[in-house]
Amino acid sequence: MNENTGATHRLASCHLCYKLVPEREHDCPRCGSVMHLRKSNSIQRTLALLITASILYIPANIYPIMITDQLGDSEPSTILGGVILLIKLGSAPIAAVIFIASVMVPLSKLLAMFYLCWCVTHGAAKDFRQRTIMYRVAEFIGKWSMVDVFVVAILVALIQLEGLLMIRPGVAALAFAGVVMVTMVAAECFDPRLLWDKWEGNDD
Amino acid sequence: MTGSDLKIAELVACPSCDYLANISDLRDGERAKCVRCGHFLTEYKVDAIDRVLSFSISSLVLLIVANSYPFLSFKSSGLESVMTLPQTALALYQNGMLDLAFLVATFIILLPAFLLFLLLFLCIPLHFKKPVSWLTASGYLIFILQSWCMVDVFLIGVIVSLVKISSMATVVLGLSFWAYAGFTILFTLSLSNLDRLQCWRAIDHLNSRVVG
Repeated sequence: MNENTGATHRLASCHLCYKLVPEREHDCPRCGSVMHLRKSNSIQRTLALLITASILYIPANIYPIMITDQLGDSEPSTILGGVILLIKLGSAPIAAVIFIASVMVPLSKLLAMFYLCWCVTHGAAKDFRQRTIMYRVAEFIGKWSMVDVFVVAILVALIQLEGLLMIRPGVAALAFAGVVMVTMVAAECFDPRLLWDKWEGNDD
Repeated sequence: MTGSDLKIAELVACPSCDYLANISDLRDGERAKCVRCGHFLTEYKVDAIDRVLSFSISSLVLLIVANSYPFLSFKSSGLESVMTLPQTALALYQNGMLDLAFLVATFIILLPAFLLFLLLFLCIPLHFKKPVSWLTASGYLIFILQSWCMVDVFLIGVIVSLVKISSMATVVLGLSFWAYAGFTILFTLSLSNLDRLQCWRAIDHLNSRVVG
């Protein structure tokens, strides 16, 4: 039984300013946000956004993220292509940074969030702390995937030697920025308190 | 025990697990964590608002410097191209990607600048204990927008691109780069000193003085 939670006392906590008010209040008296005992339709919204992000992840990897025009040749490169090129050129640390930021982080974030949604709807009542930490980590690492988009923006702005060497942005950069933003909103829609609602005492 | 028996004003529900905690008797420098899930709840510092204020003012100065000098310059085969900070977004626009240009400009310059002004609007009245009408609105916007500032991510992006280009040409770091690096540190410090719960308590306190 959940003894000492806001929900058992019919108290809603404002998601923005943490003020506790009785459940019947509609708006937070302090900051004006809409009050809910739990974020409304949390799982449905999170899942919808996660699916959107997964779909956007396909064009982000298929299309070129940037196009290099060197002495009349134009050479498009995808995210993974860029990583492979960097390894061939011998800069493995940078390849690792790009690989972690643009492949591992978004994929593991998507998987983690799908898993957490599954935990709330079908999962067994266990590993509460681990799952909460998993959520907080997924929430925190999300924006770091933007590194690759910023790298493209910087290279495009910096490398403008007319006719000799020029870099143009590709469509994938926009799709990838979309993936990052949609997963950020998805993490915001998810309510970790739903994980704890199954808690039945000191079992972990 | 029912809801009415509890002293609501002294309690906070953990945003991670909804477990109630009493945080009324925190002393200077003390932090509160949720007993059930371990989530960080709040840290009370007497001079938190002053810290936020001073970090915000200094980072605003550095942001202005960062936007007015060359950021990086790039030399290869006798040719040189110089880039300023707003050009990261402008160049994308010139390449026909208005949407991406807007996003980049928002995440690294516009939103942080807007947030800094909001922080000043919030902290100056709190510092001088002057109740103003926009206090709640600026607090509201700050806590909604703060997770969308990507200045730290951008700085890592700059470092990655530096290493990426350094093999094919000479890259010179401009004054603006150092200013932006400093801005990133101060801006992060400013936001990390702004404790959500304590900040709203201060706003509450100030607003109640008008009524009382």
